[in-house]
Amino acid sequence: MSELPKVGIISCSGEDCPGGNISREATLRVLHNLRPDETATICLPLFLAGGEGERGFAKRFPTITVDGCGKMCAAIGTARFSNKPAVEINLEDYPDFISLKDEEKWHIQESSSDLVEKLSNDIASHVDELRNTWE
Amino acid sequence: MSDAKRVVIPCSGIGKAFGTVAREATYQLTKTGNGEDYRTICLPLLVAGDQKAINLLKQSRVYTIDGCPKKCATLCVERTGVDVAMEVVVPKILAKNTDHKPGSILDIGPNGVLLAKDIVNVILEEESDRDE
Repeated sequence: MSELPKVGIISCSGEDCPGGNISREATLRVLHNLRPDETATICLPLFLAGGEGERGFAKRFPTITVDGCGKMCAAIGTARFSNKPAVEINLEDYPDFISLKDEEKWHIQESSSDLVEKLSNDIASHVDELRNTWE
Repeated sequence: MSDAKRVVIPCSGIGKAFGTVAREATYQLTKTGNGEDYRTICLPLLVAGDQKAINLLKQSRVYTIDGCPKKCATLCVERTGVDVAMEVVVPKILAKNTDHKPGSILDIGPNGVLLAKDIVNVILEEESDRDE
């Protein structure tokens, strides 16, 4: 019986857009609280700044990318330097995206807590699904 | 202060509290009392090869704030062919004032905010020295 793999989660950090902060926060919640033993991560910029070891990340782990806007930097960067993500999440697909305020690129407001929770739970569900369908 | 555009880019590292401190320092520098002098861009745009972002860097004085010695923010900028005017590595700033040790990556706490302020001061001092 093969061991279930950890699932990689790579978040955009979007310093200049509120979706980046939401993506980062939701990813951290999954990594630290929801699925700490089932997940791994790597800083997205390491794909460009690092070496072959870092670039093998999405080859070693089935990987979920979490992007804060439609530019999809995490998905594009992961595919460009490592491997095509198994799941690509785009925060713009969530109806609450349009309610985000510009200042939330630094500090998430209480009004966005539901969005963070929804995104966290969706990431966790994808983690479970990827592990359950692993062959 | 000279008229050059100033862009500050934190690493936002997802593995350590120092990545969050780098973000907080960028927030303070771009939003708190420094007016229009500093702006930031999304570091992931450089990973994705966004030409508009790269062109902005080429017209700017670029400051990077890295949370660990891997210096992703600095290296990502340099790989675009742009020189970094000043690179700040968060643990080195903490070493000068160990009272400002941050909390967790999800909540850096008041000491983390103070550490971010230390970083801002280092950058502003460098900018001041450059203009003299």
